Amino acid sequence: MEWFNDFWSTYSTLVFSVGVHALLALSIWLTLSCGLLSLANAAFMGIGAYVSALLTLQLGWSFPAVLLAGGLAPALVALIIGAPVLRLSGVYLAMATLAFGEVVRITVLNLEITGGPEGLNGIPLLTEGWHIALILALTLYGLARLRRSKVGRAFEAIKEDEVAARLMGIDVDRYKLLAFVLGAVIAGVAGALNAHFTFFISPREYGFENAVDIITMAVLGGTANLIGPVLGASIITLLPELLRSLHDFRSFVNGAVLVLVVLFLPKGIWDPRRFRGWLQRVKGGRA
Amino acid sequence: MRFACKTLVLVNALACAGLVQAADIKIGIAEALTGGAAQYGVAISNGFQLAAEEINAKGGINGNKITLVIEDEQGKKEESINVFKKLIFQDKVLMIFGPTLSNSMFAAGPVANAAKTVVFGTSVTANGITDVGPYVFRNSVMESDVLPVTVATATKHYQLKKVAVIYGNDDAFTKSGYDVFKKVLEEQKLPVTTTETYVKGDVDFKAQLTKIKGSNPDAVVCSCLAEEAANIMLQARGLGIKAPFIGGNGFNSPKLFEISKLAGEGTFVGSPWSNTNPAPANQAFVAAYQKKYKAEPNQFAAQAYDALNVAAAALKDIKLSGDIVADREALKNALPKATISGATGPFKFRPAKTRSGQPGGWDADQKPFIYLVKGGKFTLYSSK
Amino acid sequence: MLEQQLLNALTLGSVYALFALGFTLVFGVLAVINLSHGAVFMVGSYAALALVTHFDAPLWLAILGAMLISGTIGLLVDVLILKPLRARNAPHLIPMIATIGVGIMLTSAAQGMFGAEVLRFPEETLPAGEFIVGNVHVRALELAIVAIAFILMAVLFTLIKRTQLGRALRAIAESPKAAWLLGINVEGLFHVTSFVAAALGGVAGVLIGLDFNAITPQMGQPILHKGIAVIILGGMGDIRGALIGGLFLGFAEVISKAYLSSQMGDAVAFGLLFLILLVRPSGLFGRKLERKA
Repeated sequence: MEWFNDFWSTYSTLVFSVGVHALLALSIWLTLSCGLLSLANAAFMGIGAYVSALLTLQLGWSFPAVLLAGGLAPALVALIIGAPVLRLSGVYLAMATLAFGEVVRITVLNLEITGGPEGLNGIPLLTEGWHIALILALTLYGLARLRRSKVGRAFEAIKEDEVAARLMGIDVDRYKLLAFVLGAVIAGVAGALNAHFTFFISPREYGFENAVDIITMAVLGGTANLIGPVLGASIITLLPELLRSLHDFRSFVNGAVLVLVVLFLPKGIWDPRRFRGWLQRVKGGRA
Repeated sequence: MRFACKTLVLVNALACAGLVQAADIKIGIAEALTGGAAQYGVAISNGFQLAAEEINAKGGINGNKITLVIEDEQGKKEESINVFKKLIFQDKVLMIFGPTLSNSMFAAGPVANAAKTVVFGTSVTANGITDVGPYVFRNSVMESDVLPVTVATATKHYQLKKVAVIYGNDDAFTKSGYDVFKKVLEEQKLPVTTTETYVKGDVDFKAQLTKIKGSNPDAVVCSCLAEEAANIMLQARGLGIKAPFIGGNGFNSPKLFEISKLAGEGTFVGSPWSNTNPAPANQAFVAAYQKKYKAEPNQFAAQAYDALNVAAAALKDIKLSGDIVADREALKNALPKATISGATGPFKFRPAKTRSGQPGGWDADQKPFIYLVKGGKFTLYSSK
Repeated sequence: MLEQQLLNALTLGSVYALFALGFTLVFGVLAVINLSHGAVFMVGSYAALALVTHFDAPLWLAILGAMLISGTIGLLVDVLILKPLRARNAPHLIPMIATIGVGIMLTSAAQGMFGAEVLRFPEETLPAGEFIVGNVHVRALELAIVAIAFILMAVLFTLIKRTQLGRALRAIAESPKAAWLLGINVEGLFHVTSFVAAALGGVAGVLIGLDFNAITPQMGQPILHKGIAVIILGGMGDIRGALIGGLFLGFAEVISKAYLSSQMGDAVAFGLLFLILLVRPSGLFGRKLERKA
């Protein structure tokens, strides 16, 4: 057990980060599964992180209540901006949500209560491993159920062809809004969890780069099912640590891996169809 | 950071070539060696390596050589926590220097403090850093110690009636510098004509400066990093602003005048370090740095260099037992008493005043120098 | 002060426009949001700097060299990465993510070669000269940037509207498949476009590097964000739009800094962008550009 203690004390934060990033990747997977390319998730994460940290620091709420608020606050924002923003599609939606993210970041930067650029420090360590594990498990279970439900099928239909879905009588706008808001909830909870194990948050962590990081995790892992985003989040989080011995070349290799995966693994790393292809080839070879 | 690995090997090799019975003192360095903060992190890491080499060349500390374990924290908070944990629990270093940015210290400092390991920041100036706990030290001089003297000196010298202010509002360092300036200007009853801001990465400051010019101040107070400050000065002169500048800690880099040339003439800067400070310890540092890195040192390198020497002074007074927990505790108890006269002048610690009243860490107790820029150089100011 | 602020806005807007030209060209023809354009811009700056300091090249040669180097990078990115992605009909998002990877690689390569510190052109290479008209201070370099932005825009515009090449490019922008059926060498033109766009990005890098004289591996990132705002304001893929959008953003930022508060600068840029997208989904000056791959 000793090696485990050593391992855990060195790498617990890293494992926590994997969990939080997996939640973020799932949050964007959800919107992508409805055909929405929304890049607002970093901002939603930030809203969740700030609301929860302020509730802990200023009002001393209990942790479960704080997490709940961390999920609901961005959901509320998503509900308000959802109706006008979701009329856009494709790259335009991506850009509008990016711009929204920047507006959120700049607002946080210029508010008094958020500590401006100096951020909030002294946030107590409340997140424990099992919190993240439980929330991740619940999210995975919920999303898996959702995929197979009527809602999931409606998402699928909208993703494949919005016009056809509308003609089939699917209330496209409502389902889009649902995906957008649920994504915000997951991202917000992830932000709240993150704020309570890193002691400190600042506006810089929820900007453009982070929005791009989140989408990268999902796409890298593959968006065919729920395993992809989790896998992508794990790789993006662990890769820099695994490459630590490369020192100066680390970020170069990091970038190269991104390019190579995109080039040679078209559907992301976790691609069931490709796996089946391999399996068949193996079988075929034997026969 | 091209030289990091090579130098690490070199320091190791030196240590190995030393006496057989001598133990290594493992010290962790967690600085931003890549990413936006790398321009500071690299200089800081250079300062540490220079100091370690010098100490080892003189036979180490009580016969023990110093080994630096240098890690890149990328200027990111999670990365800083990961690096700190790796250094503390895996490499089992005696203490950690770093991280580069105040933000990272707010995240990683609590980790070191909880693990009862000394963390020593050389470039973290934000308020509240040493609130984290008794294992947190820094030799970065806080703006609140420097700026009142700077502003008072400049006011007297130029007979200032009103000033304009410009600062970076999305950066913890420049923003907290501004907060101090604001307080100092209020205390010293110096009216502010206009307060302008910019954000990191901005290169065009003309809109703000044009506005400042219109408000016709006697001087421009600037809480900026050296790179931005140089461009601000050049663009101000380009727009025909003749008022002198008053700068904070961030101004203190020879780079500033390399770039801005005579645009910075008449600037007042208060700082713990300057390359022209004639103290022998400083001149020796500047010469050694130039020789080793073929570049000019800056304040970040100087403070890192001094920090390792402060730690070395403390280590001289303790007997290392080989039990890492006991040794870390011994270092924490010995460090507050350490004093040196280094590149930044005489140095000692003072207990931090914390907001909560709990026992906090240790801040630098140093007298700032006030410099007036003449002929593109920092010259020590004397009011005669 | 108003005259000076208007001039400030004009130069800032030209800087944005200059950067956005190549960015929008790639989007218009290849339908790719090339997020490595900021890094290519940075490469241009470093290339010119290296030519000036290591090979004592005169400035005009350094600019040409920078164009060539950054253009080649653009070409390589297209041949090695974007082409295979096109071949397998990858969705929009995929090339964008690949270009993020390219950006990271270029940035870290630049840091490895030149270090993390801010580098500058030696003073003697900077075109000197400034003059004062009434109350307005003008630097020769600023005028050069404004002029070059307008000239490049005009050249590019004429090229696209008046020449055979331009017609081919416009056909591709409408539909690559149809263009191919018409016998246009689509792949070849994609390569040319990538080269030209990256070369334009490189020039922008040199000029802005000269004007503000602060070259760092990260210098492309902030302007990339602004570039995104510009091409959306101007309508994506529209050459005139890049100029109009750039100037518009420059004026909006400067005026808000001058007459509201300088804290508002960035908030204005992105707030405007957000609002404009809600009101006019295809940008202020853009036409609806819908293309099914």
